[in-house]
Amino acid sequence: MSEAVTKAAAEAVIAAQAPGTDPASVPGASGARQFWRRLRAQRAALVAAVVVALLVLVALAAPLLTALEGQDPTTYHPSLIDSARGGVPVGPLGGIGGDHWLGVEPQTGRDLFARLVHGARVSLGVALAATIIQIAIGVTLGIAAALGSRWVDQLLSRITDIFVALPLMIMSLALLAIVPAGFPRPVLVTLVIGLLSWGNIAKVVRAQTLTLKGLDHVSAARLSGWGTWRIARRELLPGLAAPVITYAALLVPQNITVEAALSFLGVGVKPPTPSWGQMLTAADVWYQAAPQYLLLPAGALFVTVLALTVLGDGVRTALDPRAASRLRVGTGRRREHRADTAGEKETSS
Amino acid sequence: MSGFGGFGGFVLRRGIGTILTLFAISVIVYVVFYVTPGDVAQITCGPRCSPAQVHQVAQQLRLDEPLYVRYWHFVEGLVAGQDYSTGTSVEHCPAPCLGLSYQSDQQVTRLILTKLPVSLSLVLGAMVVWLILGVGTGVLSAWRRGRLTERVLTAVTLAGTATPVFVIGLILMIVVCGELELLPFPQYVNLTDDPEQWAWNLLLPWLSLALIEAASFARLTRSSMLETLAEDHIRTFRAYGVGERSIIGRHALRGAFAPVIALNANNFGSAVGGAVLTETLFGLPGIGQELVHAVNVVDLPVVVGMVLVIGFFVVLANAVADVLYAVADRRVVLA
Amino acid sequence: MRQPSLTARRVAAVSVSLVVAAGAAACGPEDNDAKASGGDSAPHQGGTLTILNRNPQQDFDPARLYTSGGGKVPTLVFRTLTTRNRENGAPGTEVVPDLATDTGRPNKDATEWTYTLKEGLKYEDGTAITSADIKYGIERSFAPELSGGAPYLRDWLVGAADYQGPYKDSKGLAAIETPDSRTIVFHLNKPEGEFPYLATQTQFAPVPKAKDTGTKYEEHPVSSGPYKVVKNENDGERLTLERNTYWSAKTDAERKAYPDKIDVRSGLDSSVINQRLSASQGADATAITTDTNLGPAELAKVSGDKELAARVGTGHFGYTDYIAFNPNVKPFDDIRVRQAISYAVDRSSVVNAAGGSSLAEAATTYLPNQKSFGYEPYDLFPAGSTGNAAKARELLKQAGHPNGLTITLTHSNSQDFETSPEIATAIQDALKKAGITVKLQGLEDNDYSDTIHDVKTEPGFFLAHWGADWPSGGPFLAPIFDGRQIVKDGANFNTGFLNDKSVNAEIDAINKLTDLDAAAKRWGALDKKIGAQALTVPLFHPVYKRLYGEDIRNIVISDWDGVLDPSQVAVK
Repeated sequence: MSEAVTKAAAEAVIAAQAPGTDPASVPGASGARQFWRRLRAQRAALVAAVVVALLVLVALAAPLLTALEGQDPTTYHPSLIDSARGGVPVGPLGGIGGDHWLGVEPQTGRDLFARLVHGARVSLGVALAATIIQIAIGVTLGIAAALGSRWVDQLLSRITDIFVALPLMIMSLALLAIVPAGFPRPVLVTLVIGLLSWGNIAKVVRAQTLTLKGLDHVSAARLSGWGTWRIARRELLPGLAAPVITYAALLVPQNITVEAALSFLGVGVKPPTPSWGQMLTAADVWYQAAPQYLLLPAGALFVTVLALTVLGDGVRTALDPRAASRLRVGTGRRREHRADTAGEKETSS
Repeated sequence: MSGFGGFGGFVLRRGIGTILTLFAISVIVYVVFYVTPGDVAQITCGPRCSPAQVHQVAQQLRLDEPLYVRYWHFVEGLVAGQDYSTGTSVEHCPAPCLGLSYQSDQQVTRLILTKLPVSLSLVLGAMVVWLILGVGTGVLSAWRRGRLTERVLTAVTLAGTATPVFVIGLILMIVVCGELELLPFPQYVNLTDDPEQWAWNLLLPWLSLALIEAASFARLTRSSMLETLAEDHIRTFRAYGVGERSIIGRHALRGAFAPVIALNANNFGSAVGGAVLTETLFGLPGIGQELVHAVNVVDLPVVVGMVLVIGFFVVLANAVADVLYAVADRRVVLA
Repeated sequence: MRQPSLTARRVAAVSVSLVVAAGAAACGPEDNDAKASGGDSAPHQGGTLTILNRNPQQDFDPARLYTSGGGKVPTLVFRTLTTRNRENGAPGTEVVPDLATDTGRPNKDATEWTYTLKEGLKYEDGTAITSADIKYGIERSFAPELSGGAPYLRDWLVGAADYQGPYKDSKGLAAIETPDSRTIVFHLNKPEGEFPYLATQTQFAPVPKAKDTGTKYEEHPVSSGPYKVVKNENDGERLTLERNTYWSAKTDAERKAYPDKIDVRSGLDSSVINQRLSASQGADATAITTDTNLGPAELAKVSGDKELAARVGTGHFGYTDYIAFNPNVKPFDDIRVRQAISYAVDRSSVVNAAGGSSLAEAATTYLPNQKSFGYEPYDLFPAGSTGNAAKARELLKQAGHPNGLTITLTHSNSQDFETSPEIATAIQDALKKAGITVKLQGLEDNDYSDTIHDVKTEPGFFLAHWGADWPSGGPFLAPIFDGRQIVKDGANFNTGFLNDKSVNAEIDAINKLTDLDAAAKRWGALDKKIGAQALTVPLFHPVYKRLYGEDIRNIVISDWDGVLDPSQVAVK
């Protein structure tokens, strides 16, 4: 019983992270073309994809954009702040104007637009890279546990348990203190997040793989003597794509907030390198005196999370048309005639 | 159901697994904090202590012994308890003894027992709030899907996920307690001292912590419900003229029950240790707050003890999730 | 700015005891009283004072506390031989008698100090306080179990260097004699004219041997002061203090002790403390904080609100934040490089990073800008407020760096406004103008502290700060610049490795003086002399601003510790 139980619970977690994904229903490779067609059919997902693409573009082009503005993220502008009043920006709306598109930072007078777009580089970069590490470890260990012998499975599952049970914040505090100061901080934060919190995804992948293993076409492949690697590559990875990609879309924003939390605890990316997390940490006390200072990074983070979530849902729907079609079955009274578009709306949650 | 034997076997296997996991965690924490910079004896003694004094303190705390010997003392204390001197008398720390804090000379077990109720108060209360918020939002958005209500609710819960708790919490406090004066600023009151004040004072911390979690519950509830709504028997109900409200409330919600329970147990476990920021911001003297402090002063016995407690809750919660899921969802049991 | 109670606790105890002083005449008690009480300005007995703090009073053992002048909350419970004068501003830097009848009677060369206890002194249980209890209290501070206090007793008392406290060595310290129950004599191994200052620290509080419970004593230390500990929850997180009925105002001229009860709540976030004080609701109307300053963001808000601005106490504490050089590391072995950096520093941007001109005053002297320290204004490498880049370039050229210089600045990662990344970044930006490229090396706080205080690892160029153990030049200059205090195998504070015979001799000569005013003048002159070596670049002296609840009256903020004194505050 216990095996079934564990699997079932893991499925529930998958369901939470990748709603509507029924592991048994995922077909094999469904073709890239089909995927794109289905993705394009969803308006919300398209908008989200554009937003995500824009964010990445802004991050990549940060030096260009700030050059356009004529500012950089590190130069101090002492004349733009009121030193006697704690360094609050001079002028309305935190000093917004032609020179400083989004105003300046309290205490230093550094340009907020420049810090925000440069911050996007660090925040998105750290979050994306950490996600890739998490997925790589999680998928490898998950598949290995599911396909390996009972002994291998036990060992890997216990290791996974350990990583799930170790409190991320606490271990990060310790690990970030151990590594020599010369090590580039953003890389370090990425590694710490990536290497510490892959436990849940490994569990999800293991459970999903166990289900796929039981499917007819996979069993058939095993019977016909395919090697483990070939089975993993040809039969399992396509089936894992939907939950993993959906999970990844959720991990990215989660990692951004972890980076913020690490900044709050004093072990995040170091000044003068800006990051959204660090901006939020510094800005929360300024909520009353200089609200825009807080609202800018908070807004940027919100838009990112929203876009990634919607995009993740869209990708999931495109990869897993059966779940999508199930959702599309008419249930609303007045909406039945719009059944075709209902599926898209669903994805905006 | 595969019978009591199967369940007993499950418990036994999980139990052994838990002990091994916790054992491994304690070793990892010992090693990691052993190499963490920070001269423990100097920190404990004070910044201006002379080398001779620092040496005395190191002896006092057994820091001069090799790592494996210190770890062995730790295991010994766990199994057999430990005697220690306060200077004027000898005290006994009964098994399972997690040692003494380097900094305050308190028994770690006692420290945990004073901090744990605070953390559990926070997380259990927040759990109720996130279930109400998350499941409520999920139900509403399944019911009103595609309409404005759903989108607003979705955006609100996602904003909760996207904003770090130290921002949400602080703004809530400034607005609710400072400007609107609806609630007093939270400060922890023991449940046993005054249950009503306990709840009022924890309301904002509960809400702040719950907002982070609510979004995933909303998403899970909504998608589970939509799946159920698409199933054949619901169509049959509809065909027989059962009202939409009843279908949503009685049938579709039931389908969301099992996965919500599983996710809940999962998140509960990690929240016991993950509420560090909430505890710090609201000044709740719980496990998380103490742990961050202990990490910063390299107070190894406290760190190990608290991490083990957190690990215990995570592992336990995962096991409970498995069982509850099986109990709640007949399909699983049949499988 | 916020560091959620991350500072190491004993370190915090030090830096917290370094606090808000009321230099500004503007915050005299009359002003505030008139506003707070609407006419009736006299403070009255009664009521409950709430103290909202960040750091729990985890150390509540007088042996373990590291305080300047006896601490804030501890001073309500512990009386000491002498104490700080509880008055506003500069008079508050004086040392006055507490348990003793005077501030101490030295022998001719100040190597022997005699104190007589006042009559009728009692503990909270009614038993008499004896000189033997004071001796015992000092002895137990030598026990490794109860480490944490200042180093002076060990350094100064004859034969104390290796003493391990009464638990291991019941014979006690021969250097402290108690000829009768009211007399206590201290024998020092060298002249120390500032001994009366030392006798303000909590190690000089009486501890009745029969009630000593070793490491558990801090759960309920026996009170000799106006309040006793009624409840101590969660290792000092919540304290309830009530009147010690055996304390008598007749024997205590310093503590006013107006409130009947004191409720200390700690473990709070600093921004929450300030929000609560500014909202001043319910019990918070009679609340103060003894460890949390207004940050720049809060100051920005408060300064726009007259009602709030009237409830801010401003204080100065003897404290200097500075850049330190290690002259054993190239290129800082060249005094011209050190001078160039001194010229290039932009103090206005450093002050801004530290919270702006209301929270920090630019410093050009190492000694704090207060009379009691013997402050003598000097500016040996005038940089103006924004730095003298031209002069710096010229000096660099002379030193053989015509194309500028690339150096590494080591700082702490903890966000405490002193050695924080923000200050380091401001310096990095400022030195750019002088052609100096600064790389930042941020270390985690413990690592930072180990690194800069170890002669083997000390970096060449780093941020540092120093606070006064008492308001005099002695504890400010000697640990940092006395060549005989270079510690090779432990925590070293003479980070500039200055070992100048004339400086050492002058320190010894000043220590012989028991006329503290005369001593102060000579400390000031010595500071200027050392300053010429450019081993440090003084950056700023912090200014402490703290909010208090709207029903708080009788505000006293001395220049000794710069904080609103809880022993003077009234809530009615």
